[in-house]
Amino acid sequence: MTERPSILWLLLRRMSLRHWRDAPWQSGLLVVILALGVAVYFSIRLANRAVLASFSNFTDILTEQSDWVIRSPAGTLPASILPELRQGLGDRPVHLVPVVETTATEPPASADETIGQRRTYQLLGLDLIALQNLRVNRTANRSSRSPEASVSWFNQTPSTQTERTNRFWEFFDSPRSVFISTALADEKRLKPGDSLSLVINESIVPFEIAGIIPSLPDRPAPPRSMLVMDQSMLQSLNGRPDRIDRVECVLEPGGDLDLRRSELKIRLDGMSGGRWQIESPKQRRDSGAMMTRAFRLNLTILSLIALVVGLYLIFQALDGAVIRRRDEIGILRALGVEERTIQQAWLLEAAALGLLGGLLGSVPGWLGAQAAVQLVGRTVNALYRATSADAAALEPTELLLAVILAMVAGILAGWAPARSAARTPPAQLLVRGGGPNPGPRALRSRPLALALMAFGMATALLPPLRFDGGIRFPVGGYASALCWIFAGGIFSGELLSVLGRMLRPIGPWSPVWRLAVSQIRPPTGRHRLAAASLSCAVAMTAGMAILVGSFSQTMNGWIERAFQADLYISSAGAQSASTDNRISTAVWRELVARADVAAANVMQAHEIQLPGGPTMVVGADIGFTRDHANLAWLKAPPPEAFDRSKNADMAFVSESFTERYQLNAGDRVTIPTPAGSRTLKIVGVFGDYGNERGSVVLEGSRVAGWFGTDLASSVILKLKPDTDADLVRTEILSAHPGLSVFTNSHLRREILRIFGQTFSITYVLEFIGVVVAVVGLAMTLASLLLQRRAELTTLRALGMTHFEIAHASAIEGALTALAGLVSGLAVSGALGWILIHVINKQTFGWTLQADVPVALLAGLGGLVVLSGTVVALAVGRWGAGLPADREE
Amino acid sequence: MAAEAVLYPTNSTVETVIRVSDLAKAYDGRPVLRGVGFEVKAGERVALTGPSGSGKTTLLNCLGGVDRADSGSIQLAGEPLESLSGDALARLRRTRIGTIFQFFHLLPTLSAAENIEFPLQLLGMPRSERLARVDSLLRRLNLEHRADARPGQLSGGEMQRVAIARALSHRPAVLLADEPTGNLDSANGGNILRLLRELTDETRTAMVLVTHSEEAAAICHRRIHLRDGSIVDPE
Repeated sequence: MTERPSILWLLLRRMSLRHWRDAPWQSGLLVVILALGVAVYFSIRLANRAVLASFSNFTDILTEQSDWVIRSPAGTLPASILPELRQGLGDRPVHLVPVVETTATEPPASADETIGQRRTYQLLGLDLIALQNLRVNRTANRSSRSPEASVSWFNQTPSTQTERTNRFWEFFDSPRSVFISTALADEKRLKPGDSLSLVINESIVPFEIAGIIPSLPDRPAPPRSMLVMDQSMLQSLNGRPDRIDRVECVLEPGGDLDLRRSELKIRLDGMSGGRWQIESPKQRRDSGAMMTRAFRLNLTILSLIALVVGLYLIFQALDGAVIRRRDEIGILRALGVEERTIQQAWLLEAAALGLLGGLLGSVPGWLGAQAAVQLVGRTVNALYRATSADAAALEPTELLLAVILAMVAGILAGWAPARSAARTPPAQLLVRGGGPNPGPRALRSRPLALALMAFGMATALLPPLRFDGGIRFPVGGYASALCWIFAGGIFSGELLSVLGRMLRPIGPWSPVWRLAVSQIRPPTGRHRLAAASLSCAVAMTAGMAILVGSFSQTMNGWIERAFQADLYISSAGAQSASTDNRISTAVWRELVARADVAAANVMQAHEIQLPGGPTMVVGADIGFTRDHANLAWLKAPPPEAFDRSKNADMAFVSESFTERYQLNAGDRVTIPTPAGSRTLKIVGVFGDYGNERGSVVLEGSRVAGWFGTDLASSVILKLKPDTDADLVRTEILSAHPGLSVFTNSHLRREILRIFGQTFSITYVLEFIGVVVAVVGLAMTLASLLLQRRAELTTLRALGMTHFEIAHASAIEGALTALAGLVSGLAVSGALGWILIHVINKQTFGWTLQADVPVALLAGLGGLVVLSGTVVALAVGRWGAGLPADREE
Repeated sequence: MAAEAVLYPTNSTVETVIRVSDLAKAYDGRPVLRGVGFEVKAGERVALTGPSGSGKTTLLNCLGGVDRADSGSIQLAGEPLESLSGDALARLRRTRIGTIFQFFHLLPTLSAAENIEFPLQLLGMPRSERLARVDSLLRRLNLEHRADARPGQLSGGEMQRVAIARALSHRPAVLLADEPTGNLDSANGGNILRLLRELTDETRTAMVLVTHSEEAAAICHRRIHLRDGSIVDPE
């Protein structure tokens, strides 16, 4: 037993490593495939992390982490809360930092721009003098360094004391002074005194750069998208004077902080009376994480496709290596090396491959993350909340996780080959030649495939796992998908065998076909694994294409019905799902009063906190909705729901809302508003593919009253007959360049574009999966040809030309690809159904109408068979040129 | 393709079917063949003997055109091998050369009958003719009952008989045999040697037989002995 580690090391050093060195291309390709799988996973994880990190409280960067954050459960807080809080807290050593926060964007470059292309900035309105005092106070308490050592807000340019004082007052004299981050200053070459124009609400506001946001020691640098200005200035700019978004409570250092924090929470709770809610910074971060959890999880699962496909390939490569090295294993066994030691050596080799692949994949993974963060960020912006993530940091824990995953993948894939290497009797191993290796029994078991399918059907019926915040995880759906994918893998091998039998009659007519078809009659284990990996990649890609096709079809129908007005107007700053930019009362009144307007819908949207997480309350003109927006009703409301005199306590909810909160038509929902809680009866449920958080829609006048604001989120106009919508749009834009105005057709195009963009990352991930599978096919054929090297010598001795040998290999590859393709397409039908009716429905709550994108799937099929044939031909040409097998 | 079968009749009219002159070959700078030269006539059986590493198999591979010499020339059935392209060499092998290996090298995915038929198929021979010839070879070699068996299901002697049938199925001018009995017991080995003698006599096929066995060398008309890549004892 004591010898085992040294024997293991000896086997690795003298056998495995030398085999790797002797076949550098083969080993290299295997490591590259693993590295690719790891890179995809790693890049998505890093991108997800970067997006999550951007949900952190921006004020944490300026104040050090707050102890508690006070916010309204709906809308904003009145500024009058501050003296009340101060009085209530007495002389407790707590700093209260009121924060006004809104979004702003760069002005549109043209009237026909696309949504979401401009960067969204987070504009913080703070009491800078109080903040400076807090910083000086905390720095003095926490370090021996002079407070002056940290850069302050007001003394950034070298000057005399008198000049500094003057600059301080100049800042407050200028109502549009803004501090920017070093990152933004470097990117745009901005310096104090320069100007920066931003869209806030419907106005393009020219700001003056007052300085660079000072950073705290040991705190992250302010992100590029962070802008800071004086609080009262921002309140006046965003049209909400005397309102604040939150109050951050920062305890002064000293004593038992945890105890004081708990005591403060109890005190604040006692004062609240339901008017505000108190959350920790972690809860705030977690709410962003929770909101996007399903999206991130789905993306992570998709990112594992390449690794899952890679698993098949590692399996077959190691299985092939066991066959190639059977003489060596036989000799080792004959020399007395224990079964267990041989198995361990093979597992170690597999783990080492994983380690190498993991480490190698981390570099492209990190590079890929920089691109992925843009794609993920755009989707999160469009569907959830504004994110400032524009670069992904290298996270050591994620790197470790990725490397461990690669090693586990290697060990999993190497398990069966290692067992087969260890358990075959030495006498059998030393017999030269023998028949083709049919591969693991599990891969040939039809009953197992049928059992997997039956299990898959059963798990698809399981309800989702439910988490806090209304998050659902379709565990049954994923289990079902996995079962079908593995069943498809088994059937692809069976199909290959059937193809071999079906094509046998061609043999007498062509020696090339006879040779090619004979190789898959029956298929070897490697043929089966290559077909299975292709089946897996094709099934996932085609299944996803069916989901996207169905989504697209459903969206088209929804857009066709729901968007029937002529013009859709919002602030040009509204570039993300969580925009705070509104249209002022004066401007929307001017818009709806135009002579060419037949009807208008002035809409308000407010985020509210329900026990299940944040959702939206939307105020709309219900009559307009009935007449000009034919919503996709899943439960149609009664006629009185459209009668203002009768619908006071009625609301419509989106399908996502019903899934998330498990409330349906006929139920009552209580929502928080600044005017107190309101209970509404759900009278209709509509399909809404614009957000997955759910929304409650009710009469706009009530929402305006409850939230105490007339500002509009958007305005929809139905123009009088024969009015030129483009002309009206031009007129509105020239009067209000800070607005975005979309005609009906332009908006439809934009919605479909954003929808396509949302799925762009999934296409990339699927494509990588298919590429890995095709490369795997090449690898399989190459190793088969190497294994059949003696046979190639025979074929040449019999007079076959290089081209004929390559041709036979191409047919073999094309047939393997065909079997993988047919099986993959068949499984994709099941996967499409699971994705549409189980995973999508349970995660996002959207009912989709199934649609099979035949042209796309035909293209995918052609691509797979063509690329399979081409790589097989290339490999065949290479194999045909292998030097003769010398046996003297 | 069918025309090629006619172009190369069963019995070569060329008296000298192999002419090797001053052949040299090295692997990684290590000489394997040095100035080898000899001739083989139609119907003649020549044993190529010598210790391991003397260059026998390399010489056989060069004769079969699956390996190229560094210098010197080989004329096989009147064709100078060094001037032929890879494809032309392949065509020459499929028409004029039959090869038998020590380890049989049957195509594992084809049945015994299909293995024998394969070279004929490469020649483009009509199916009925192919099947007739395969049947006659199977009968001649007592393999009718094993026609549908795959190589993995055959015994060593059966495999080598199939390999012989495959090598002679297209009636080549030259049969190259590399230790054809090296992997067989003495009874099977004896049978195989008897078959080779009878068949080459019947078809006037020239045979170059690489062997370590005196018994095998004994069926040949003459012997060429190689040592360190050179012919040391030409008869």
